[in-house]
Amino acid sequence: MSLSAAALSVPSQVAETSPAHPIRMIRLPSPASPLVTVRLLFQVGAADDLPGKEGLAHLTAAMLGEAGTLKRTWSEVLDALYPMAAEIHVYGDKDAFVFTSTVHRDNLDAFATLLAEQILTPRFSTEDFTRLKQDALDGLTKTLRGNDDENLGKQALATVMYARHPYGHPTLGTVAGLAAITLDDVKDFYARHFTQDRLMVGVAGGYPESFPDAYAARFAALPAQGQPRPQLAPVPARKGMELLLVEKSALGNAISMGVPIDVTRSDADFCPLALAASYLGEHRTFTGVLMISMRQKRGLNYGDYAYVENFIQDGWTTFPLPNIPRRRQHFEIWLRPVPPKSAGFAIRQAIYETDKLIREGIPAAGFEATRTFLSNYVNLWAQDGSRRLGYAMDAVIYGRDIIADLLARLPTMTKDEVDRAVRKHLSTKDLAIVVVGDGVRELAAAVSSGAATPIVYDTRDTPAEVLAEDKHIESYPLPVAKAQIRIVSAAGLFEK
Amino acid sequence: MLAPAKAFPFPTTIKTLANGLRVFVVAFDSPGLVAYYSIVRVGSRNEVEPGKSGFAHFFEHMMFRGTARFPTEKYNAAIKAMGADSNAFTSDDMTVYHILAGTSALPTIVTIEADRFRHLDYSEAEFQKEARAVLGEYNKGASNPLQPMVEALYDNAYTTHTYKHTTIGFLRDIEDMPNQFAYSRQFFDRYYRPDNVILLVVGDVTAAEVLPLIETHYGGWQKGPPHPEVPPEPPQTEEKRARVPWKGASLPMLLLGFHAPAFSTTNLDSAAMEVLAELVFAERSPLFRRLVLDEQKVEHLEGGCERHVDPNLFTVFARVKQAKDVPYVEKTIYEEIARLAAEGVREKTLAEVVSRTRYAFTGQLSTANKVALVGSEFLALTGSLSAIDDTFDLLARVTVADVKRVAAKYFTPQNRTVVVLDPEAPHEPQ
Repeated sequence: MSLSAAALSVPSQVAETSPAHPIRMIRLPSPASPLVTVRLLFQVGAADDLPGKEGLAHLTAAMLGEAGTLKRTWSEVLDALYPMAAEIHVYGDKDAFVFTSTVHRDNLDAFATLLAEQILTPRFSTEDFTRLKQDALDGLTKTLRGNDDENLGKQALATVMYARHPYGHPTLGTVAGLAAITLDDVKDFYARHFTQDRLMVGVAGGYPESFPDAYAARFAALPAQGQPRPQLAPVPARKGMELLLVEKSALGNAISMGVPIDVTRSDADFCPLALAASYLGEHRTFTGVLMISMRQKRGLNYGDYAYVENFIQDGWTTFPLPNIPRRRQHFEIWLRPVPPKSAGFAIRQAIYETDKLIREGIPAAGFEATRTFLSNYVNLWAQDGSRRLGYAMDAVIYGRDIIADLLARLPTMTKDEVDRAVRKHLSTKDLAIVVVGDGVRELAAAVSSGAATPIVYDTRDTPAEVLAEDKHIESYPLPVAKAQIRIVSAAGLFEK
Repeated sequence: MLAPAKAFPFPTTIKTLANGLRVFVVAFDSPGLVAYYSIVRVGSRNEVEPGKSGFAHFFEHMMFRGTARFPTEKYNAAIKAMGADSNAFTSDDMTVYHILAGTSALPTIVTIEADRFRHLDYSEAEFQKEARAVLGEYNKGASNPLQPMVEALYDNAYTTHTYKHTTIGFLRDIEDMPNQFAYSRQFFDRYYRPDNVILLVVGDVTAAEVLPLIETHYGGWQKGPPHPEVPPEPPQTEEKRARVPWKGASLPMLLLGFHAPAFSTTNLDSAAMEVLAELVFAERSPLFRRLVLDEQKVEHLEGGCERHVDPNLFTVFARVKQAKDVPYVEKTIYEEIARLAAEGVREKTLAEVVSRTRYAFTGQLSTANKVALVGSEFLALTGSLSAIDDTFDLLARVTVADVKRVAAKYFTPQNRTVVVLDPEAPHEPQ
């Protein structure tokens, strides 16, 4: 990727290193704060799962963060954490897992010792293994398949976008993969991947000055180097749109669509693409094009958003979860459940709005408004020490700090820059589309026949200009070849 | 142990306008940022008229539909220009509108917020479209079995009080919302009044900056009419049970509800129930260790009592690994509470609960927005921020005898409602 002059002016985030060990370290002191956040990020994820053992990275991380140590059973760990109100949060994705907690500085030493024990001296007991493996299996086959249609759609979308690629199975694993994993597999995976060279230690808040160095040094007890990290394979090319219809009982149809792109935060084109996605639909805000045209004007659903990287919401906030870096990213549109009878229309409208952006470019007023919005909004992404630390660590991995990058580039960014990046990287031609819910057979028939899919209103007085646009959208090209339409049951997903 | 400093230590200025609007300005170290919360003391608890369940939440949506001065597009443009995080939420007892933005945006925030609270204006066509966005929100939640389970729990546990319905409302009422335009104006007129609203402003601002702006923009707002009474719930006299069928995959689930006292800063029962929740259901509890770790029959276990204006439910939720174990899990939970009622706990364990609760609370207060979020709940429930410290003072006074007493008093068969999710059962049309 070429770098613009403005992009080059943004300093890269560099982690501290020690001559004594290869562990990278980020510190963000905030002496007045009574709280301290610790983040231990290992650059290992579901992309490292062994073929046939899908779910191994996740299960290994769980065996470190949610299980006993040589010194204490998991029950004893929970007992020790309790009075401090400390919890070890473990989460991860394709390329990284992180262990994190925020504690009161009164409890920092005791907590840090417990967390170090978790990582350095895991118990690997059969009881913990049985519990966590069953939890993963239930999470996949019961909770994901049957309790959350939107997440099911997103996970199913990944299997289409990244078919035959290390990103193509849920981080939780597959049914066959989990069944095949033994406790020895976990021990072996731990020894090869949870190593100093893959670790970054982050500390933020009101910690004693000597704490970060001393704490990072404790992890020098891990093997210095693990299995060399293989290059991530290119995403196999797909030809044309694909439609995966997941048939299950539901009141609405949850829709996710996306396509891999060549851009991550490491690239200069990421910032203009982020602006374009924000214009289409910043997560859980009300001012994006999709939100206004689909929810506000038509009452189709609860929300409609667009992204240019994998997005996981941070708890109940509006903001993205930090520390889920990826080497490959994708463009994604998330349509919250729509009435099944209007699902075809909703898909067409999302494509119509995206194509309009690609074809006509971002309107000048929309560009200016989104640029102003992002110039302020990005400051909200890192409000507390934990999130600031997460972003700083992500900046080390990507070589660029997305917040600093946007703040530096937005003032001089031009509409042409956005339009060029959009035309270069975004296309709906090879879009993967997933619909979860009832009535998908009718949708399949309509799409394969090329029939119009009109919106069905049960409300009055829709403005004439909206109705006129509806006529256009209901027949907007949705060129999915018959062979590219699959209907599966939720029960059949993620088997292997 | 955390020193007995104030739980809510931030300097606060309080002002009540002549029209009854109360304003709390809280100084918090968040350079350049301000959280602006408009707390309306109305929630699904106030939905007393038949067929109107879910209306407080629906109305929250309508508040984003503009005024004559700031129609939706202009309001949205103003929010967008600030780069604000702006949204709202509704619960049983409150509706809270929140904006987080740069401090330079404060004058604009006060202007547009005062304008929509005083002069909201929308067409029936816009009203109808928004009603369908609410239906979309219901449908979104309906893929999680907890939604029908919670609906069934409250519908069965209550006969009279409006806690009988959940905040999003019954589906039949949501489907009818497009027809309730006239009622929506009445609702606004009744509840969106200065004497029923509290403003909470937290962050890098001073009272001297905030209060004159608020006087100017909210000063002419008129007080409202009295509110309809919320009918009290008579005591439950027998155990109630409901089964929720589920088509598709799911772990079996168990949801229990016990009628419990309203939130209070003076009633020891209220604080003792919070302590009991920790003693019986925290991850370090003997019950968790037995069901989740040792026997591995339960995948997730939690129990507690959310703070409410009127007496609500102490709920217990368990995701069970196998349907055959649900009766065993239910029985074991009752036995554990009975054991607590009989035997109590060690003083040290009780002290650790208090310590944890204080540390957990302090941990929540890490940003201006989080401070405002925490503060808004106490303001909606009690009208005061000193209620926070009163709550912790009360918690520290709870004795082992108090815990034993509430365990025996509230966790009786005739006071409970039991809901079981049965994924094995055939689906029944709703």
